Amino acid sequence: MTLVLLGIRSLLKNPYRSILTSLGILIGVLSVVVLTGIASGAKALVLQSIANLGPNLLVVIPGSVTDSGAQVGGGTDTTLTAEDARAIRSQCPDIWNASGALRTAAQVQSPHANWSTVILGAEPSYLPVRDWRLARGGFFGDQEERGMARVAVLGRIVASRLFGLSDPIGKFIQINHAPFRVIGILSSKGQSPMGMNQDDMVVVPLTTLQSQIMGVTYVGVILAAATSPDRIGAARREIDGILRLRHHIPPDGRPDFEIQAMSDIAKTAGRLSLILTVLLALIASISLIVGGVGILNIMLVSVRERTREIGIRMAIGARPRDILVQFLSEAAALSFFGAMAGGAGGVLFLAGIHLAVGWPTPIPWEGLLLTVAGATLLGILFGLYPAWRASRLDPMEALRYE
Amino acid sequence: MINSDGPGISLRLEAVTKIYSVSGEDLPALRGISLSIRGGESVAIVGSSGSGKSTLLHLMGLLDRPTSGELYFGDRRVDSLPPTERAVLRNRSIGFVFQNFQLIPRTSALENVEMPLLYRGMPARERQDRARELLASVGMGDREQHTSSQLSGGQQQRVAIARAMAGSPGLMLADEPTGNLDSRSAATILDLLLSLRDRFKTTLVLVTHDMEIAQHLSRTVRVRDGRLEGPP
Repeated sequence: MTLVLLGIRSLLKNPYRSILTSLGILIGVLSVVVLTGIASGAKALVLQSIANLGPNLLVVIPGSVTDSGAQVGGGTDTTLTAEDARAIRSQCPDIWNASGALRTAAQVQSPHANWSTVILGAEPSYLPVRDWRLARGGFFGDQEERGMARVAVLGRIVASRLFGLSDPIGKFIQINHAPFRVIGILSSKGQSPMGMNQDDMVVVPLTTLQSQIMGVTYVGVILAAATSPDRIGAARREIDGILRLRHHIPPDGRPDFEIQAMSDIAKTAGRLSLILTVLLALIASISLIVGGVGILNIMLVSVRERTREIGIRMAIGARPRDILVQFLSEAAALSFFGAMAGGAGGVLFLAGIHLAVGWPTPIPWEGLLLTVAGATLLGILFGLYPAWRASRLDPMEALRYE
Repeated sequence: MINSDGPGISLRLEAVTKIYSVSGEDLPALRGISLSIRGGESVAIVGSSGSGKSTLLHLMGLLDRPTSGELYFGDRRVDSLPPTERAVLRNRSIGFVFQNFQLIPRTSALENVEMPLLYRGMPARERQDRARELLASVGMGDREQHTSSQLSGGQQQRVAIARAMAGSPGLMLADEPTGNLDSRSAATILDLLLSLRDRFKTTLVLVTHDMEIAQHLSRTVRVRDGRLEGPP
């Protein structure tokens, strides 16, 4: 213990060199902590936006159009209809609710302003399927749906663009020059995992959008909510069966639709961000190793510079082991204080990022502990060789060293 | 027969040689030395520079190993001990005083004196008390916190002597202890060494080229060209 203190004391006699040496470890630990913090923040962000969409959600999109032998891509066909959505809703025991939806872009006008946004045609069941609430007013029901009523529910952004601070409910907006009465405002939902801002849209009855704005009969997508997360597999099989039956596709034929489960996407995203985290941590570890080499370097210089001191200590009766412990504890102390400072710096840095950009940057406490411990160990490992060399010096030669 | 007067260690060298090999060439420094020193005796080793007298002292101090021959402390053969055992023996039984003082730089006088006790594992408080006492006894009680660069040569050598005495060694080895000092400091240092020897009955071996100094010790041994001169 006394020898460890001896090592630390000799560091204090050379404060500049000690600080510069631990700087390498400090930067290494800092970058590991910051990069893993940012990566896990990004992961949290992705998972959160997927959870926003609803963990029980299944998305049915039409298959690809084959244009003279070339497939144009998923979701381009027009084979899904509101009747498909109704069948899924009523005939699948593991589906709690479902809604067809269709979207288009349009110019929307209020008496004072206009705004280019997305018009979403949806069924009344859309709101519960998406687990979405209204901020104000109401949503349309079956009656408006059947009657192709010109009513609209505004997203947060559209409401403020068109009406500013005044209350839009009961007022009229024009979509492609047709008047629609505003009946509700959606609560804020933020970005979708595909990067679309879900608050920048207007929701109207599906039938209204199909017949009065677009003049089509298909739906772009069917959203279905399973009764519980563990019924997603069963729900998927049921949807597949019903749609094959309705679209006259044999069980071994290629379907003209695709079913995606949000939970699968979440799993993939989680796996991807884990890979990202590991990769970033690995890159950052390289700078940690560079820091360790810095300690090796300085300790070698220090042993050479203090050869005579080592000789004196040996003459006075320091055993090789005593010399080893002294220099090893110097290396350990350098890397430990460097790692602690780097860890503290990393935590501050992450907090700073959170304040400046608003990203969630959860502080990876376990990783932090592991990194600090690992960096200290690294310093000890790199200090081993110089300390061993010091302990193996010949006392007489060391005493004569100038 | 040996170890007759006091707790000092008796030394015996039998046909000790030391050959340095420098870039493949053998340079004999000691060509067969046999010598006995009684416990508590004070011996001056004199000779011109390059005669091998310092090498002889370093061998006695277990800082170096002889190429051949045997070295005994009392009845114990010590020339072929492993490094750790030699270190322990240096710590417990030997006190060194060097020509160039060899205080540890940037380290206080007190810490320098504590050092041998530290390697013995003595608790800090006890160590400090003993070091203070020793510094006071060499007249350096008021300079405990000074580092070597803040002390004159004579003062540094006094601290070095206090350090050599810290472990109450049975053998004091002094290599030209006054060689770097002016005559007045030199006299003080020599007096200090001799009075400490008288007080603790330590064996004292002192290397010098100065016959004046050698006269103050009870026996003089001459080394010339790696051999002892005159009657052993």
